[in-house]
Amino acid sequence: MDIDGVNEEENSRRVQVRFVTKLKPPMTVPPLPIAIPSNLTRLGLSTLVNNLIQNGNPDWNTQPFDFLIDGELVRMSLDKFLLAKSISAEKILEIEYIKAVAPRKEEEPSLHDDWVSSVDGSDPRFIVTGCYDSLARVWKAAGECTHILEGHSDVIASVGVINRKGVEGITVATASKDCTLRLWKFDTEDSINDPIRIRAFKILRGHAKSVQCVAAQNTGDMVCSGSWDSMIKLWQTNDSQSDGDLVSIKKRKGNDQADESQLEGEAVSTLVGHTQCVSSVVWPQQETIYSASWDHSIRLWDAETGKNSSDIFCTKVLNCLDVGGESSALIAAGGSDPILRIWDPRKPGTSAPVFQFSSHTSWISACKWHDKSWFHLVSSSYDGKVMLWDLRTAWPLAVIESHKDKVLCADCSAFLLEFLCCECQSHLNYSDNLMWSSQHKVQYLH
Amino acid sequence: MKIKEEKKKRQSVRNSKSEEVEEEQPSITEQNKLKQKQLPSHSDSDSDSDPDYGSPYVSDSEDFSEDGDFDGSLSDSEAEGSGSSGDEGVVDSDVDDGLHNDQENQSNSSESHQGVEESDSSEDEVAPRNTVGDVPLEWYKDEEHIGYDLNGKKIKKRTRKDKVESFLESADDAKNWLKVYDEYNDEEVEVTKKELKLINRLLKGKAPHSDFDPYAPYVDWFKWDDAKHPLSNAPEPKRRFIPSKWESKKVVKLVRAIRMGLIKRDKPKEEQQFYHLWGDDSSSTEKANHLSFIPAPKSKLPGHEESYNPSLEYIPTQEEINSYQLMFEEDRPKFIPRRYTSLRSIPAYDNAVKDVFERCLDLYLCPRVRKKRINIDPESLKPKLPSRRDLKPYPVTCYLEYKGHTDAVVSISIEASGQWLASGSLDGTVRIWEVETGRCLRVWEFEEPVKFVAWNPLREIPIVAVSVGQEVFILNTGLGDEEEQKKIKELLHFETPVAPDDSGDKVSVASWHQDDKHEGIRLRHFKTVSSVEWHRKGDYFSIVMPAGESRAVLIHQLSKKHTQRIPFKLRGLPVSSLFHPTKKIFFISTKKNVRAYDLQKQKLIKKLETGLREVSSISVHPGGDNIIVGSREGKLCWFDMDLSSKPYRILKCHPKDITNVAFHRSYPLFASCSDDCTAYVFHGMVYSDLNQNPLIVPLEILRGHTSSNGRGVMDCKFHPRQPWLFTAGADSVIKLYCH
Repeated sequence: MDIDGVNEEENSRRVQVRFVTKLKPPMTVPPLPIAIPSNLTRLGLSTLVNNLIQNGNPDWNTQPFDFLIDGELVRMSLDKFLLAKSISAEKILEIEYIKAVAPRKEEEPSLHDDWVSSVDGSDPRFIVTGCYDSLARVWKAAGECTHILEGHSDVIASVGVINRKGVEGITVATASKDCTLRLWKFDTEDSINDPIRIRAFKILRGHAKSVQCVAAQNTGDMVCSGSWDSMIKLWQTNDSQSDGDLVSIKKRKGNDQADESQLEGEAVSTLVGHTQCVSSVVWPQQETIYSASWDHSIRLWDAETGKNSSDIFCTKVLNCLDVGGESSALIAAGGSDPILRIWDPRKPGTSAPVFQFSSHTSWISACKWHDKSWFHLVSSSYDGKVMLWDLRTAWPLAVIESHKDKVLCADCSAFLLEFLCCECQSHLNYSDNLMWSSQHKVQYLH
Repeated sequence: MKIKEEKKKRQSVRNSKSEEVEEEQPSITEQNKLKQKQLPSHSDSDSDSDPDYGSPYVSDSEDFSEDGDFDGSLSDSEAEGSGSSGDEGVVDSDVDDGLHNDQENQSNSSESHQGVEESDSSEDEVAPRNTVGDVPLEWYKDEEHIGYDLNGKKIKKRTRKDKVESFLESADDAKNWLKVYDEYNDEEVEVTKKELKLINRLLKGKAPHSDFDPYAPYVDWFKWDDAKHPLSNAPEPKRRFIPSKWESKKVVKLVRAIRMGLIKRDKPKEEQQFYHLWGDDSSSTEKANHLSFIPAPKSKLPGHEESYNPSLEYIPTQEEINSYQLMFEEDRPKFIPRRYTSLRSIPAYDNAVKDVFERCLDLYLCPRVRKKRINIDPESLKPKLPSRRDLKPYPVTCYLEYKGHTDAVVSISIEASGQWLASGSLDGTVRIWEVETGRCLRVWEFEEPVKFVAWNPLREIPIVAVSVGQEVFILNTGLGDEEEQKKIKELLHFETPVAPDDSGDKVSVASWHQDDKHEGIRLRHFKTVSSVEWHRKGDYFSIVMPAGESRAVLIHQLSKKHTQRIPFKLRGLPVSSLFHPTKKIFFISTKKNVRAYDLQKQKLIKKLETGLREVSSISVHPGGDNIIVGSREGKLCWFDMDLSSKPYRILKCHPKDITNVAFHRSYPLFASCSDDCTAYVFHGMVYSDLNQNPLIVPLEILRGHTSSNGRGVMDCKFHPRQPWLFTAGADSVIKLYCH
């Protein structure tokens, strides 16, 4: 027995490591090199670091850590990692540990009557969802609907919160398959038990086919929208009637609604260049608009001149697009295949993606960068999974499998540090279908 | 006076010469003999080295005036005492004068000089001690002696010093570097100073003797002026300047011979004359006389194991012999090797008669007909097709399913922009789906199973034509913006509730009705409608009623709500009809053939003979010149209309009925789906170059549908803008295969 034990000890080689971190003092460990068995995995390393911290600080609650070697997350046993990356085990290995990012808890789902097509959680105070019952809803918390935005005659395909500086009220833009966009205003302060039904203050007409996506400029003055008529249109969001090109129409509704003044807006400019449905637009900076289309291309537009400044060609249909990551320059896009691709447009001369994540098994319906982190992004797929990715490893950090059917959209909110996703479950019969959506809040500390 | 002077000079020259001679040959000078006596002695000494010099000298002396010669001899004796110093100066002046008379004398003296030198050098050498002669010394290598001396006695080898000793000795001896070992005489010779000088001069590339002047002024030996008979004064003959006639004749002869092939320059190497004795005779005889002679089969040659005393490894052990008994008789080895100590002990062979008999049978029954077997690699017979990887994109994997129907989906149709999908099912519903999400947008319910759905090809008019039983419905999908909806509503509305359009006919073929229930138009026909096809402009559509006989195919016009019969006589049972994608041509396929009609001229253009048992479906390439036809027996025919009325290619890939075939609108793809629950995707490239035949490459088999009631995939359609394929299955699921 003794001999066996010795053999085992010999079999597991030891590596000299030193743990370093950028975390604050209670979570630091003495930077002395220690020898650890090389067959440790992330879990082993995590317990080790927790023990080390506990030595210095007895009332320490264990928490998971993630480990970086040469800027790459450790996702296998240490010796395999060293072998794969051909790092010498002779030297003292520096392992940086960071807090593990993992979804913590799932909140109560916010139920809808129909499929939820889109979600926007970029404002910390509320979440906006667009639904297939042609209503958009504003949620203050899980299951707590404050406003219902009604007026569209068809499915709402996309919602976008317009952050306008110096304006108290909240403006939301919705894009619908009835070929229009609507702008809505409401206040979040008044807390009422029943959701308030509000109507749009402005209707934007001009698309010939169903509008697929909407994105607001960061100043909030303009929104852009992509449509099945393969055009991108830019719209003004202001509600002042002094604008010459806006036509004010007094509409008297036949039902019991009060008189409402609804403005109609026309497109400020149109960006033509795509040959097929524009499935996703992003307007991260004042001057650049990114768009993804079914014609397999991602185009960058100069918002001022309306010129197409550069193209990235993919071989697949693109459904979603987001810009973020390192200095907000990386383009993540997913489409009609299970691979989430990330391009770096600053890289000259190549149209090859810099990262490819391929753990999904079906179309990718949405992808979203984390606002504050350079490395994290969220993707949702028709296979019912939502995955949290870290650029430093090829495996997903977390997989959320609480949905049973296609996940149509996902977003990670900026200030709550949560991410939301919504999904659909279709029933066989349309007439009495039982559709619900769930909304999850997953806290992760940072 | 002049003559006298000359004579004097001559004498002086001679003196000097003779003195030189005397210096080098002191023995002769001492004797102080007369010149006359001296001369023969000279010639004697010369004679051994070069006898030819003697005679010219003599003859020359005869030429000369004899007195002069004598004078010289006298003066010679006179001038003896006067010393050599003055004489030399005379010689110099003499030479400067360049008198020819002296030449002969001088030469003589120089000759004699040479002769003396040679003898001199030979005198220097010690006579060879060894008399073995010029034989290789290694003959004496192992002997104790190195040869024999003059008396015939053995010359003993010196005792060998060992290397160290000799080295030490040589190191001690300061003069060692001058010593050379003479192998021949087995002794060490010390080089003298004189010899050393000589060697040094030789090494420098100079003449060995220091007193030899290599740059002596040229002296013309021949006396031209005095010669009575010149050696040759003839001019160079002409023949030296013209090419030889005989030579050229010889060359011409050779060239001719080469041209005629009489002389072969590159003779092929002679093949080896021996041949493979044990080789197969048949091939050689066949080569030899081309007769179809088949030699008798050769009996097997005996091997080592058939030896009377084979090696031990051939001898089977007892266990092996026992195991033979368990084998089948045919598998059992015929011969079991055994060892015998001698040939005598070999018993008689038991099977001798049997073996001979079998051999006879072999000979008697051997096949007498040569089988021609062509050795062809089956791989090489396959057509060279491009790699599938180069033909991307094409549909490969199923990512989306459209679920909602409760019975087999019979027909699907995709909107022109590719946003929506319409499907008709046997459960009596028509559904509109969002392609992107798989969301069912709309459902219409009918009393009877839906047979066919067809989306209007115009993007502005999103309406669907549906055939249900005997009726065809034109349905408004309600998609598109408000203006479009207004237009559609106008289009689908008509004032006269019942309009018997066929005013000429007695029996109404079809009647148009407003259908309020489904918000569309209802066309009632007298027979079951199997298919509906739109014209590309979205106004006309044709319907097929297989049981309609002469009125089986009708063309409706939507804008005028008008129905017309086709002005052609139909032969056979119509299966489906199609409009040409660009021209005014109308295709009608019956169970056996496909006919193309010109609608404007109202006549038959082409008849395509499929050769199939029953055509099930037909599709036209967007270019319009190629047609694919699917059949109930699982065959797919590709027709090139320009090429022939026979199929260009017949692909037999499905084991069961082909239910539908489809071309892609923009990608070079076509697909067929079958009741065997698979859909095949092919690459079908049509080149604009008329000389190049279409390229057909099978790409992918799409599986995933399950069989239901013996039916598999009922319909397949390509997405109009993406390389995606929709398949409708009898398992009530629609699948989307993406690239």
